[in-house]
Amino acid sequence: MNRRDRKRINKEPRAKRRVTDDRLEPLPGIYIHIPFCRKKCDYCDFYSVIPASDLQQRYTEALLTHLRETSQFVHSPVETVYIGGGTPAMLGEKNLVTLLKEVQRLYAITSSPEITVELNPESTSFKLLSSLKKAGCTRLSIGVQSAVDDELKKLGRLHTFDEAKSAVELCRKAGFDNISVDLMYGIEGQTPESFRYSLQEVINLDPEHVSCYGLKVEQGTPLWDRRETADLPDDDAQADFYETACTMLRQAGYQHYEISNFAKPGYASQHNLKYWRLEPYLGFGPGAHSDFAGRRYSIVSSLDAYIEGIENDGEVIEEMEEILPQQRAAEYVMLRLRLAEGFDPSEFLRQFMIWPDSIEDKLREYEKSGHAKVDGRWSLTEKGFLISNTIISSLLEYI
Amino acid sequence: MHNINNIRNFSIIAHIDHGKSTLADRLIELCGGVGKRDMETRILDSMDLERERGITIKARAIKLNYRASDGEDYVLNLIDTPGHVDFNYEVSRSLAACEGALLVVDAAQGIEAQTLANTYLAIDAGLEVLPVINKIDLPSADPERTVHEIEDIIGIPAEDAPRISAKNGVNVESVLEYIVENVPAPVGDADAPLKALIFDSQYDQYKGVIVYVRVLEGVLRTDDLVRMMATGAEYEIVEVGYLRPIGMEKCEELLPGEVGYFTASIKNVRDTRVGDTVTQVERPTQKALPGYRRVQPMVFSGVYPSDGAKYPDLREALEKLQLNDASLTYEAESSVALGYGFRCGFLGLLHMEVVQERLEREFNLDLITTAPSVIYKVKYTDGREEKIDNPLNFPDPTLIEYAEEPFVAANIIVPSEYTGNIMDLCQGRRGIFKDMKYIDTNRVELHYELPLNEIIYDFFDALKSRTRGYASLDYELKDYRQSDLVKLDVLLNGEEVDALSFIVHKENAYARARRITEKLKEHIPRQMFEVPIQAAIGSKIIARETVRALRKDVLAKCYGGDITRKKKLLEKQKEGKKRMRSLGSVEVPQEAFMAVLKLDE
Repeated sequence: MNRRDRKRINKEPRAKRRVTDDRLEPLPGIYIHIPFCRKKCDYCDFYSVIPASDLQQRYTEALLTHLRETSQFVHSPVETVYIGGGTPAMLGEKNLVTLLKEVQRLYAITSSPEITVELNPESTSFKLLSSLKKAGCTRLSIGVQSAVDDELKKLGRLHTFDEAKSAVELCRKAGFDNISVDLMYGIEGQTPESFRYSLQEVINLDPEHVSCYGLKVEQGTPLWDRRETADLPDDDAQADFYETACTMLRQAGYQHYEISNFAKPGYASQHNLKYWRLEPYLGFGPGAHSDFAGRRYSIVSSLDAYIEGIENDGEVIEEMEEILPQQRAAEYVMLRLRLAEGFDPSEFLRQFMIWPDSIEDKLREYEKSGHAKVDGRWSLTEKGFLISNTIISSLLEYI
Repeated sequence: MHNINNIRNFSIIAHIDHGKSTLADRLIELCGGVGKRDMETRILDSMDLERERGITIKARAIKLNYRASDGEDYVLNLIDTPGHVDFNYEVSRSLAACEGALLVVDAAQGIEAQTLANTYLAIDAGLEVLPVINKIDLPSADPERTVHEIEDIIGIPAEDAPRISAKNGVNVESVLEYIVENVPAPVGDADAPLKALIFDSQYDQYKGVIVYVRVLEGVLRTDDLVRMMATGAEYEIVEVGYLRPIGMEKCEELLPGEVGYFTASIKNVRDTRVGDTVTQVERPTQKALPGYRRVQPMVFSGVYPSDGAKYPDLREALEKLQLNDASLTYEAESSVALGYGFRCGFLGLLHMEVVQERLEREFNLDLITTAPSVIYKVKYTDGREEKIDNPLNFPDPTLIEYAEEPFVAANIIVPSEYTGNIMDLCQGRRGIFKDMKYIDTNRVELHYELPLNEIIYDFFDALKSRTRGYASLDYELKDYRQSDLVKLDVLLNGEEVDALSFIVHKENAYARARRITEKLKEHIPRQMFEVPIQAAIGSKIIARETVRALRKDVLAKCYGGDITRKKKLLEKQKEGKKRMRSLGSVEVPQEAFMAVLKLDE
């Protein structure tokens, strides 16, 4: 192990652990962040830049170097790969294909991996899609957001709904059978009617997976600056939207498997499930997060710092934290309760050696008020999902 | 050499901001008491809080030496007075230690209510009142108008008043000459039995209580055995001395007309009450000085630590404050809503504010206070009578024959354009209009009789906000009057919150109930379930608001596996919850308790 490697992960991960349970050791996922956007959306506070000259090329090489260096610490096969952004297509078709191929060459990959690429409707072409498919991509996630063009404009999106619709059709034509669509509620000017219309249009597109997110007004975004005058639906309206989404998607055959995620049976996002099930994942690129070998760490969120760090053997980890068992227990409750599958009190006890009694007592209160339910495992109801912060933060007092 | 004819004892009377402290600084400087640099921290106001608010709470005295233009050396004792209505009695005792008073009036602003009240106190005490026109260098200054105002309103000649700028040192020397010429020298027989007036005291952790006195007759000596005539406490004097600008200066004895201090290993300021007379045990004087009064708290409020674990700290802090503040009273009480705390008694609103701020600032305590209350007198149907200072003890209406509440005589001076606003305000506070006088073409003086209960809520704030800060107020307790009083209770989710109960006149009950429920609604966050907020008299609900159930509190997105940020958000939320009070099943933030104290917004 050379000096550079030590800096990147600080400590060599433990050798492959023995299987302790009847389950196999969870397998890691890989997230690769592409921080390029043609234009930043008005609500987005993720790190991204507008690429210039040879930046895509240099960035691709930096990513490949980083992936190569890290690969030697990863001893188990990778189950999922997720290339997100930003706008991954802005990396360029050639680079994107190289990246996909290299990840699969550098890491052992399971026999049927989930390999997702995020796409924006405006940067979709049949040629790109075919290349992605050929390079091993199995799943596409498309940012549709709304079926109302006015709302898309308010969000600062660069596409119309018709373009989004064509993009999805194009994906089908290219042979993709696992497509996820992002939909947003709480957009400026959105009404119950317009949201229902968007939902119906999305259902008509018949994607395998729908992510339905509430718009959050983040500091430092153009939307934040105009929040006082923007016609933003209030919390009650958002709650109504959410309930509408749950109902309509359920009726259309989607399972509500996580607070904001819906899937046809068998199509839940394997990659995102890793986040919620405390399974390991490795993040690459500026601002990416990892949970690996007992630590959570994040990569510097500036593209220049990242490229320079990789090119010159420097530091690219911004924050690293070893997660102690008690914190893990808190994470377990916090993340598992985002999932419809919820958490199993006896598993909690086995894993963290913490008696779940007081948590369960509290959950029983929430059961009475219709916010939680239990059938061996505890989980939140739709009503509970909506105020999950309140519920989870109150449960955290008992850990 | 002691020469009683060359002593001048005087106070300075001025409204806040009219330049009392600045003038005092200049006088001390001119008498060579202390270097200019030390002046920056004004000597007379030694408490931070006072300095910040520009008010003086504790009286102090300073002995200055001055060689006048007649070539003689004079001793000038400047006795400072507290500048606020709550400390009226203390002011009167400080004035009783003097033969004269400088009346400092801002040439731009003219006479204010507080100035007037204290001036009358000085005149009543037989003092020579000497007007001084300050701030003559301000562009808006009108010294001539101010002179006329003083002559018209107070009725004392002011033509010869020095016109000065204390801030810029203009003409300040003339003030010293003015004092020497016009303040009468004290008189007093050194051979008579000792008679000294306590006008202030202060606790020092090494010397015990330092008692500030003015000797009227006889001599106060080290090692003498003395008696406080009102409290009966006896002490052997350990040390006597003068109060100099830079500190205490020991001496052998204090003679008639002199102002100074003594210590006698006294543990508690309660034994050295302001206004009490000090005499010798061996050869006591026949009659104590007139005017002594035991000060009684007029305003009461529950004071609780926000963090219940800090209760012992609060008790310790109150003990320490009381060492220096005989007018502060406290006794332990407990509340279902707020846990363990103290019922504190204060002289008035400002005193209450000052004590609360000192507790928070000097003792680093985070406090919740309940709505202030006055002392009500209740006559029960069975003939029994009771004084009640805590709304919780206010009996059921059916048991009451009648109830009485204290009224004050209030004097408000305000620019005439705001007269209407003030009249509306006083009307709304059940004020009884007595009369109105024009001080000059721009300002009026309004006399009202008001229930004290209406003043202690947020009257000052309301007064200021309705007059853009230009009104000044002075009041004194007048009498008790029968009133149709009721106890208003607040219920959250059907459960009574004891800390929010208060007593109100029946006529105002509905309006107050509506405001308080609205205010609470603003400050109580949405909960898992709907929370009704009700205000009730007995079992009758008279106002209701509802905090609707929380419907959405969720972090929808969780991209890229940034769990840390999410965790931090939830941790923060968890911490926020800790700062809430759980009342039954309702979480109430501490601000809610404070918000109901300011209903006029």
